[in-house]
Amino acid sequence: MTAVQEAAAPDGRIVVDRLSKRFGRKILAVDDLSFTVEPGSVTGFLGPNGAGKTTTLRMVLGLVHPTGGRATVDGVPYRRLNHPSRIVGAALESSSFHPARSARNHLRVMCTVDGLPLSRADDVLELVGLKDAAKRKVRGFSMGMRQRLSLAAALLGDPRVIVLDEPANGLDPEGIRWLRGLLRHLADQGRTVLVSSHQLNEVQEIADRVVILNRGRLVQQGSIEELTAGTDSVLIRTPDVEAMHRALTGQQVQVEQVDPGALRIRGLTPAEVGHLAFTGGVELHELSAQRFDLEDLFFALTAGDQS
Amino acid sequence: MIRLVRAEFLKLRTTQVWFWLLLGTIAVGALLAVAVIAPSDGIRRPDQVPDLFSVFAVSPGYILVFVLGVLGVTTEFRYQTITPTVLQTPSRWAIVTAKMITYAVTGAIYAAFALLAAAAVGVPWLNAKDIPVHFGDSDVQHAIIGTFGVIALYGIIGLGVGALVRNQIVAVVVGIIFLLVLENILLAIPVVKHAWPYTPDGAKQAILFTHGDNSPVDGVHLLGTWAGVIVLLLWAFVPAIIGAAFSMNRDIT
Repeated sequence: MTAVQEAAAPDGRIVVDRLSKRFGRKILAVDDLSFTVEPGSVTGFLGPNGAGKTTTLRMVLGLVHPTGGRATVDGVPYRRLNHPSRIVGAALESSSFHPARSARNHLRVMCTVDGLPLSRADDVLELVGLKDAAKRKVRGFSMGMRQRLSLAAALLGDPRVIVLDEPANGLDPEGIRWLRGLLRHLADQGRTVLVSSHQLNEVQEIADRVVILNRGRLVQQGSIEELTAGTDSVLIRTPDVEAMHRALTGQQVQVEQVDPGALRIRGLTPAEVGHLAFTGGVELHELSAQRFDLEDLFFALTAGDQS
Repeated sequence: MIRLVRAEFLKLRTTQVWFWLLLGTIAVGALLAVAVIAPSDGIRRPDQVPDLFSVFAVSPGYILVFVLGVLGVTTEFRYQTITPTVLQTPSRWAIVTAKMITYAVTGAIYAAFALLAAAAVGVPWLNAKDIPVHFGDSDVQHAIIGTFGVIALYGIIGLGVGALVRNQIVAVVVGIIFLLVLENILLAIPVVKHAWPYTPDGAKQAILFTHGDNSPVDGVHLLGTWAGVIVLLLWAFVPAIIGAAFSMNRDIT
C-alpha cells in the first residue's frame, strides 16, 4: 500500500512507534515504547502513577515533543492533522478551564474554532449530564463535573478517535458506571477509545484490550482474555492437605500451597476439584474460584522491577 | 483565521478582565485629560491642544492595554486552557497571529474609549477657557491617529511578551518594570541614553510628537515619525515571532 492510499483511507488507528521522552538528563519518562490502538474497541492504558502514561498521551497529541520515535493517528502525526479536534477528541487533566468562564462558553469557544454550530455545545453538555450547569462558572464545579466537562469537550467534534487520561478520577460510583456505558457505546460505534488509568481493576471492566506500562516501558499488550487466559485458579481449604494432594495425583494440574491449610490449584474447574475431593473423601472447608485479575497480572509482570 | 480570531474575541468576552481594564482605561483617560489641563503648565495655547489627545499614549495609560495583551496569552498557561487551544489549533503561528489581530483591534477599541473620555472631559473645559478644539486640525488628527496606532501596537507588544515568557506574573511584572522604570533610567545614563529613541517609549514619543519647541528629551533626539512607527512595529512583532517559534512550541505538560 502506498502512502497516498494510506492518507486517503484514515484507519482510526493510533500507532506509537519506538517513542521515548527524556526530561532533563536523568529522567527517562518513556523508553522505546511501541503499541497500536485499534478502532472499535476500548483500550486501557495502564500503569502506576509516574509510569509515563500522561507523557505518552501528550506525545500522541503533539503537546510534548518526543526525544525519539513517533506517534501517529490515521497514519499522520497529530500536529499535521487537518482540524484535529474533529478527528481526535482528547480529555487530559480536568483543570484546563478558565475558572470565570461558564461551561457553555468554554465549549462555544471550541465550536467557534472548528466552525461548528454553537448549539453543539448544549448537545454535548446534555450528553454528559451537565445541562443544568451550562451557565455556571467552572470555578464552582466539583472534580466530577470537571471530568464530565472535559469529556464533553472531547466529544464536541464527533471524533473517530477518543483519548482520555484518567477519566474516572473524581467520578462517583454512579458516574463511573455511566462512563463505562458511554465508552462501550462509543467503541461499539466503531470509534477508537484509549483510556488511561492507574486503577487496574476498574479498567478490567471497561476495556477490551490493555497496554500495560511501567517505568516508561511496555510491559504487556493484548486483549484481556489473552493476557489472563489459563490463569484462573481454584482455592481450597482443608484440614488434611496430604489427602488432597493424593486426590489430585494423576491430574494435569499445578498445585501451590498458599498456607498450611490451603492450596491453589490451576488447570481444573471448581466442579472438577470438588468432584475429586468428594471421591477422594477429603474434607473441604472452602472451595472457591479465583479470578486472576489485572492487578495480579500487573504485579506478576513487574515483579522484581520494583527495587 | 477568521474563526480563530472570532474564538479569541469570544474568549476575551466570556471572562471579566476586559471589563475592568476598559473601566480603568476610561477612568485613566479622563484623569489624564484633567492632568494636562488643570496644572499651571497645562494646555494654555491652541497649539497645545493635541496634548489632550496624545496624553493617554504618551503617559502610562497604555500600560492597561499592554497588560491586556500579556494576559491574552499567559492566562491560557495559568489555567492550562492552552492545552485545548493547542489541541484544536496545533499551529502556534496560527494561534499567535489570531491573538495579535484580536489584541490589536481590542487595543484600538480601548484607545477609542480613552480618547472619548479625554474629549468628554477636555473639550468643554478648554472651550470654557476660550481655547478652541478643532478636530480638523492636522496636529489634533495626528495625535488621535497616533494614539490609535500606538495603543493597538502596545496590545501586540503585551501579547508578544506573554507568548515569550508564558508565566503570567513574570510577564506582567517584568513588562511593567521595563516599560515604566528601565526606559526612564536609560535616559539618565550618559552615552547609553542614545539608545532610548529605539525603546518602545522613545519610538512612541517620536510617533506622537507634533509640536512645541524641538528641544531633544534630556539631550537625546527623537526619531522621525515613520522611523518611530518602524521601531514600535519591531517591538510589537519580534517578541511575538520569537514567542510563536520557540517558547509557545515548548512542551506543554
